[in-house]
Amino acid sequence: MSKPVLRYLRKVHSPPRSHPAGAEVGVGYAPAHHGELLQGVFEDSTGQLRRALVTLLVPDRGSRAIFHPSQDHWGVVGTPELIKVRRAAILALRELSTHPTPAKGGQIEITSDIPRGIGMGSSTSDVTATIRAVANYHGVTLPREAVGRLAVQAECASDSIMIDDRVVLFAHRDGLVLESLGHRLPPIVVVGCDTDPGRIVDTLRFPPADYHDDDLAAFRVLRAGLRRAVATDDVALLGRVATASARLNQRFLPKPNLPPLLELCQRLGGAGVQIAHSGTVAGLIFDARQPHLAHTIDQCVEGIAALGLGLTAVIGADQLTAGWHTAGPVATHPGVAA
Amino acid sequence: MIGLRNGYQEATEAYQLPRLVRLAPNLYGACFTLMKLVPARFILRRAAEAGLLTPETVIVETTSGTFGLALAMQAVHLDRRLILVSDPVIDERLYRRLTDLGAVVERVPAAAGAGVGGYQAARLARLAQIRAELPASFCPEQYTNPDNPRSYAAVSELMLEALGQVDCVIGPVGSGGSMCGTVTHLRTVVPECRAIGVDTHASVLFGQPEGKRELRGLGMGMLPANLDHRVFDHVHWCSASVAYQATRQLHQRHSLFMGPTSGAAYQVARWWAEANPDALTVVMLPDEGYRYQDNVYDDGWLTEHGHHQVTVPTTPTQVDHPATASGHWDTYDWHRRAYDEVLTGLDTRPVSAR
Repeated sequence: MSKPVLRYLRKVHSPPRSHPAGAEVGVGYAPAHHGELLQGVFEDSTGQLRRALVTLLVPDRGSRAIFHPSQDHWGVVGTPELIKVRRAAILALRELSTHPTPAKGGQIEITSDIPRGIGMGSSTSDVTATIRAVANYHGVTLPREAVGRLAVQAECASDSIMIDDRVVLFAHRDGLVLESLGHRLPPIVVVGCDTDPGRIVDTLRFPPADYHDDDLAAFRVLRAGLRRAVATDDVALLGRVATASARLNQRFLPKPNLPPLLELCQRLGGAGVQIAHSGTVAGLIFDARQPHLAHTIDQCVEGIAALGLGLTAVIGADQLTAGWHTAGPVATHPGVAA
Repeated sequence: MIGLRNGYQEATEAYQLPRLVRLAPNLYGACFTLMKLVPARFILRRAAEAGLLTPETVIVETTSGTFGLALAMQAVHLDRRLILVSDPVIDERLYRRLTDLGAVVERVPAAAGAGVGGYQAARLARLAQIRAELPASFCPEQYTNPDNPRSYAAVSELMLEALGQVDCVIGPVGSGGSMCGTVTHLRTVVPECRAIGVDTHASVLFGQPEGKRELRGLGMGMLPANLDHRVFDHVHWCSASVAYQATRQLHQRHSLFMGPTSGAAYQVARWWAEANPDALTVVMLPDEGYRYQDNVYDDGWLTEHGHHQVTVPTTPTQVDHPATASGHWDTYDWHRRAYDEVLTGLDTRPVSAR
């Protein structure tokens, strides 16, 4: 059942076996995400309020970009839906313009197994992979924060998939890290689903949430809770914070199936439910250290199916052998030029 | 970010948050220097940000207590004038401290206490008169301003970060700001967190008939809008003697030099924490003991006023109705109900839960 998925993943994740004869290319990869553990408005170090989030990565899905440089032409029109990719490529080229032998323009080829429009970061992943591919061609590894800044410039708002060495509170419209919460998340397994099958959310058209003063107060507390959860490996607290953030977001982009998912989570002894705050996916959070984990995940997968919802990801369960079927589309978009 | 300590920008910032001190295996005290700095600083800074405090604006408030002191401190930082309207019986040391901070303290005449509505009405009338004469004024209104409870998110934040999941918060109740604010914000993450309010007899806050109150700093003669009764699971009433003795024990056993409202809360908290060993409990200790050195901290004074002679019960008396609480230490299961629901006897719970 999971075989096709594995083949797709291999296709996406392994570096290309051969390049067109004689042409040197740049390669970049970026993972998907499954929405956020927390999203809201938070103070930066100067006290200024900024919209920010804490991303939940999905390491085994992603986008791969191949940059085919060109020395003789500038931008050419590409596939319209990949306009952000083109913008990212141009921004990355500009960032690297002081390089001794910069590329003038080029083509970006994207291969991705991330479903689009449900809040799993397909667009951010494309953009990030593109920036990395352009940098890779130039023999440069850009700092993670620089990639984040460029990604936000390219698409207005990005989850922090490019900051993959630690857990950060990321101002997703400013491209800034507000706080490093810790090196890694507590040991969790997240079983994800699409709460509103068929609905596509245009992340950028969706208006930013209009938070009021009580929300700002609540976000302070949630931030503190997450800080402690990460520092002390407290999965229960992490789950509570994610659930609170999901509930707060119901005013802005309600998930019709959040109540039954919360109920399912509670029944199975899960820690909480996280969501994509500008998408439709949600995930049930479990402590990876709990006994009978594989059995619980099986039950969770069944429970999600019983609600009529499709599975999107099982995150953090690499060591488990069960093959949960989360096949997604693999899309290739060649011929986009920068 | 982690571990880097910075200096404070001003004294009110340095003093506003409590220190969390362990008092028992499952009990922490939230020890404030001056708790009212939390709302005073938040309200005035927000007003300044919103452009409500022009250089001509005078801050005005009716208070003879610690909220006035907190306002006076923040007014210094903001370089604004402050007028406080107080009872004639303001504590002399507090009066000197307020005026040293530049505040103008107006005392309503002693005769006003005999009028309709007592001092409270006289103070409000004088406040209105002062405001009418000023070109621009700003009143923080601690009893009705929703920024009062909101400001305590900073305290909830500290508790959650330092202690994790807090199961119960116990504290004295006045304006309602500290308990309602702290607990409501904690419940964003821990919805089952319990709230236990501590009051004193003859205070109307939780349905006692009004009367003369002996305990300094606790109890009210009116219901503040910021007191959301639906926050509270249980309510306790402590007499002055119980509160004063507990204040001294808090000092003797834990070196915590706090005022008598802290003592009342401590009395309830150590009993509750011992009876609920699995519940991580935090008790709010709102201010320090300096103002009470001549009474609560003076054994001669305690004996003279009969407080030493009272034998403090080891457990509170459970009462069936708030109005019937009349001992030294009483408790009532409030069950997160509205004031009217409890006091009119209208029981909306299912029969099985009564």
